[in-house]
Amino acid sequence: MRAGLRKYFRIWTRTASMAMQAQLTYRLGSFGFLLGKMIRLLFFFAFVVAIFNHVDTVAGYNLVETALFFLTFNVVDMIAQIFFRGVYGARRTVAEGDFDFYLIQPCSPLFRMVCSTVDFLDIITLIPVLVMVGMVFARLPPLGWGRYAAYAALTANGVALIFAIHVFVAGLTVRTQELENAIWIYRDVMFMGKFPVDVYARPVRWVLTFGIPIAVMTTFPAKALLGLLTPAWAAYAVVLTAAALVLSARYWRGSIARYTSSSS
Amino acid sequence: MKKYLVAYSISLQETLQRRSTLIMDRVGGFAVLLSLYSFWNALLGTKPSFLGYTRPEMLTYVLLINILRSFVFTGRGWQLVGEISSGRISSYLVRPLSYHGYALSLDLAQKTVHVASAFFEVALLSALVRGGLFLPRDPATWALFLAAAVLASLLFFFMEFMVSSLAFWTSESGGPLFCFELFLAFAAGAFFPLDVLPEGLRRALSATPFPYMVYFPARVFLEKVSLAEGARLLAIEAAWLAVFLAAALAVWRRGVRSYAAEGG
Repeated sequence: MRAGLRKYFRIWTRTASMAMQAQLTYRLGSFGFLLGKMIRLLFFFAFVVAIFNHVDTVAGYNLVETALFFLTFNVVDMIAQIFFRGVYGARRTVAEGDFDFYLIQPCSPLFRMVCSTVDFLDIITLIPVLVMVGMVFARLPPLGWGRYAAYAALTANGVALIFAIHVFVAGLTVRTQELENAIWIYRDVMFMGKFPVDVYARPVRWVLTFGIPIAVMTTFPAKALLGLLTPAWAAYAVVLTAAALVLSARYWRGSIARYTSSSS
Repeated sequence: MKKYLVAYSISLQETLQRRSTLIMDRVGGFAVLLSLYSFWNALLGTKPSFLGYTRPEMLTYVLLINILRSFVFTGRGWQLVGEISSGRISSYLVRPLSYHGYALSLDLAQKTVHVASAFFEVALLSALVRGGLFLPRDPATWALFLAAAVLASLLFFFMEFMVSSLAFWTSESGGPLFCFELFLAFAAGAFFPLDVLPEGLRRALSATPFPYMVYFPARVFLEKVSLAEGARLLAIEAAWLAVFLAAALAVWRRGVRSYAAEGG
């Protein structure tokens, strides 16, 4: 087990190092993408702050609480972007036949496809987000370590749930060799996680909690920190993620079993 | 003219043929629309108006964002970058057609499909939510809005074309283009009305061409500017278009002179 983990860690660091070298080689391009990501983050944050120059609360949340929801969304989303970036190139990997090579390597093809591309620009963008999270924590009343532990656990749970979605999309790509936009639908729908789920109408809230569980990924951690999440909902989040991981792994194995190689 | 109509027709058929891609694009766009609507709805709460926008006006602004994004922000920038980098553009340069005219035809085909879809989404959302829509009664407002939207679309096309033409000199032009598009979306008011921003920032932005792409046409539609003022702003928008048309053509001519058909 430990040897296996060590092997995967070595593969990850090697591929991450190669990705970093590629990004450092293309300096202008990387700088443009980095600046774009920073602009997106800062403009949205400035928007949230500017809104609170005109109102005291939105859906019952004050500025610090709304900022917590927004930043939690960014933390979960960026961690997923950093570690599961490979899915964005899955269609090309399959269509160009590179996936055949993944299958004969002594390494999980799922790991190769989903986790072996790392976006270092997101790591750089995550730093100011974490600093802002720290500033928000400092403005909250004293909450006790239990709340922070629940926040950390549910954030990790959200990342795991996103991993399950990425595995499902990777399986879909292997099965169909199409649907390159499937992951972009996820990106667009994730936009809804920028705001606390309470801003949505009841049917939409229901869909975001039980159908496309963006609320579980982004709103639940912040609600747990604010003491607004009951243990039953926290348990639901964990059970849902476990079920999603099991089902997505099963779907992936089914996709591999049907795979007949689409190129050479 | 006939060859551009044929290009338009073929592109329209291609867009409609890739139905799954189109549907996924639109589902993602609808999620963003629903998200923004819900946020503004929560912000309004029980208040009759916010920042001078009544509930119907704010709902209309959000729905207009969806239509204007589909009409204005569908350039050919990324395709141009790909065609220059791969050398595929060589095959267009030797044909007896204007590349700009050809690209405009393809862009128009995309707009046709996306605007039609956007109208359907707007109709769906406005039927689902309460609050009603703001529809101008004065035909002059409709004419001014249409003129502003058409000029905005051309302005975006040539601005994006100019930035994408960087690909003639560097293979890393994707980064600057990504950064430009994100900045533009915020500065144009494609996520929120610029009235939210502090006065100084709003004034600074009004001296740029960006607000003319979404914020200005939306304000015209909502009759937030008088017809005389609207005509004056339309003239400024036309002037910006002339500037960027000339700049894009100049950059294109210089780019074609330095083009080495790498990869082609």
